[in-house]
Amino acid sequence: MTGLLQTTIDGLLEGGSYAIVGLGLSLTFGSLRRLNLAYGATAMLAAYLGAWLHIRHQAPVWLVAVSVVVAATAIGWYVERLCFAGARDDTAPSRGAPIAGTDGREVVALASSFAIWMQLEQLAVNLLPRHLNAFPSLAASGDWALGALLIRPDRLLVALLAAALILGLAAWLERSRAGLAWRATADQRTAAHLVGMPVARLQTLAFAVACALSGVAAFAVLAIDGQVTPMFGMWVLLKGLVAAMLGGLGSVRGVLWGGLLLGVVEAHAQSLLGAQGREFATYALLFVVLVAPWRRGDRGAPLGGLRA
Amino acid sequence: MSDRIHSSTGAATGADGAFAQAVRDALCHLPGLGGAAGTHAVGLASDMAIMSLLALSAYLMLLVGRVSFGQQAFFGLGAYASGVLSAMFQVPLGLALAAGAAFGALCSWLLALPTLRLSGLHYAVATLAFGEMARIALGWWHWQRPGEDGPVGPAGIEGFRDIRWLLENDVSPAQYLGLTLLVLLGVLVLLMRAERLRLGVGLRMVGQDDTLAAAQGIAVDRLRLFAAALAGGLAALGGGLYAHRTTYIEPAVFDPMLGVHAVGYALLGGLGTALGPLLGVMLDLGLLDASRLLPGWRMVIFGGLVALFLRWRPRGLLDETLVHRIATAWRLRRGTAGTPGLAPMPSPPNLSRRKTP
Repeated sequence: MTGLLQTTIDGLLEGGSYAIVGLGLSLTFGSLRRLNLAYGATAMLAAYLGAWLHIRHQAPVWLVAVSVVVAATAIGWYVERLCFAGARDDTAPSRGAPIAGTDGREVVALASSFAIWMQLEQLAVNLLPRHLNAFPSLAASGDWALGALLIRPDRLLVALLAAALILGLAAWLERSRAGLAWRATADQRTAAHLVGMPVARLQTLAFAVACALSGVAAFAVLAIDGQVTPMFGMWVLLKGLVAAMLGGLGSVRGVLWGGLLLGVVEAHAQSLLGAQGREFATYALLFVVLVAPWRRGDRGAPLGGLRA
Repeated sequence: MSDRIHSSTGAATGADGAFAQAVRDALCHLPGLGGAAGTHAVGLASDMAIMSLLALSAYLMLLVGRVSFGQQAFFGLGAYASGVLSAMFQVPLGLALAAGAAFGALCSWLLALPTLRLSGLHYAVATLAFGEMARIALGWWHWQRPGEDGPVGPAGIEGFRDIRWLLENDVSPAQYLGLTLLVLLGVLVLLMRAERLRLGVGLRMVGQDDTLAAAQGIAVDRLRLFAAALAGGLAALGGGLYAHRTTYIEPAVFDPMLGVHAVGYALLGGLGTALGPLLGVMLDLGLLDASRLLPGWRMVIFGGLVALFLRWRPRGLLDETLVHRIATAWRLRRGTAGTPGLAPMPSPPNLSRRKTP
């Protein structure tokens, strides 16, 4: 029983990382209706820049944190210019068929952001060619004992950070005027344009904020491990995508629940079936959620739009 | 038998362990059948032909408006199925390949059933999830039978060794290349013939606007299922050819990068004709091979080029407009009369939902 509870707690804490990683992906999708495949690579290149500062120039932790976030924003801007700028000009509602749900530009954005993913990953590897690279470590030295249960304080911190960021952002989107503008451009591009909102600028801003959040996520997750590998980009994209999909793409609070659910399912799959089973469970969960008959209602609904 | 050579020239980027690099190496330097520099061209040509089959499978899905990141699963399933048949049960190569393709088509059809009504993005993610599930499941699969040099068969993540039909039957890599090219040519001819029929036009209509296509009386679901089965069969055929070429397969080869590259080739080469994906393969593998001079930067340059390119030519190099123009110019030159593109279409069997009287 204690073991089961311990696994669940470990999963919940791990889920915090997934949620924070998925947040930016969900925001991008919500506001642009495009999936940014270069998302993981953006976070990875930013993290590599941070690690480079740390290794080569002995930069202090705060400087690394700031530069990771700034770099992620800058790289995100580049990705947006190159892959998603076409979506901005599209003030008319998409003519695409509701069943297919893809228009040509969506496919093109997928493909070109994939190409940029490869490019950014290669740049990161050129910067630091080794497989393991040191990252400023904020890992806790010991676990907190809560009765028979052990809690890792650093993971708890990341999970709390994720919850605070997500719930705070959701509240901001719901309550503030700027949040309203953001949701308006995401949900009704044409209407927002007609009432005089600078749709294109707001969407670029949304993209930049999402990328900055990916920088925050990358720093928080990597500071626990104290190292970064070339697998990080793929990890960010996949875990983030599953968390965002589970919560419903474009839903901010949903990412938190999606991330936690993924963490718990993975932790139990690992304790029952080992590392391969954990990986399998991730995809099986994703697949089942996507094709589940009880979700038949949502699938016909048009995708996109931002929900708090 | 140490015929598993990894080309070291391409891996000299210092990017050891880099995910993208590893995949590129797996893709471009698929382990060859012995020999060194001399057989390099033969090996590269075989790889390109095999990748072309996978790219054609992604192309078929794109034609019906689907981005699939899971075609590598059928490639892998076909490789395993035909490998099991030829290495464990001594089935002749042609039969093993055909059975592998049929198996891939069946699996693809089965996957298409529950995902038929998903939106484009959900479909892409669902196929990615399926591909990964298949890859992990192959890593769990242990089934061996005694062979000449010890047990033969899939051994989990250690892979499936000794698919030695070619060695046992004295087929040289060059002969095998000929066979692969012949298969590719046959597939191409069939696809290009089909595109001129109402079937091909129907597929394109479904991809452009499925509501409109349905309103025109086209059986959208049936065409999508058909395209998925055909695409799965093509990918599995490529996988079977790959398995026999390398004699060794492992689940890690069939990771999402493979499928995503296939989609990239089709999009880069163009969706206007079945020759498009081939052009994409040639550009990527050919360019990569040619640009060994800047090993660490080739992906930086190539990735940027593809992204820039896609902004101006969203349906690839050989898109429908260009293909149409070329076809028109060709016909005019040959002096064939008639208005191209407005030719009456032959009446199709079994395509309309309602039977026309």
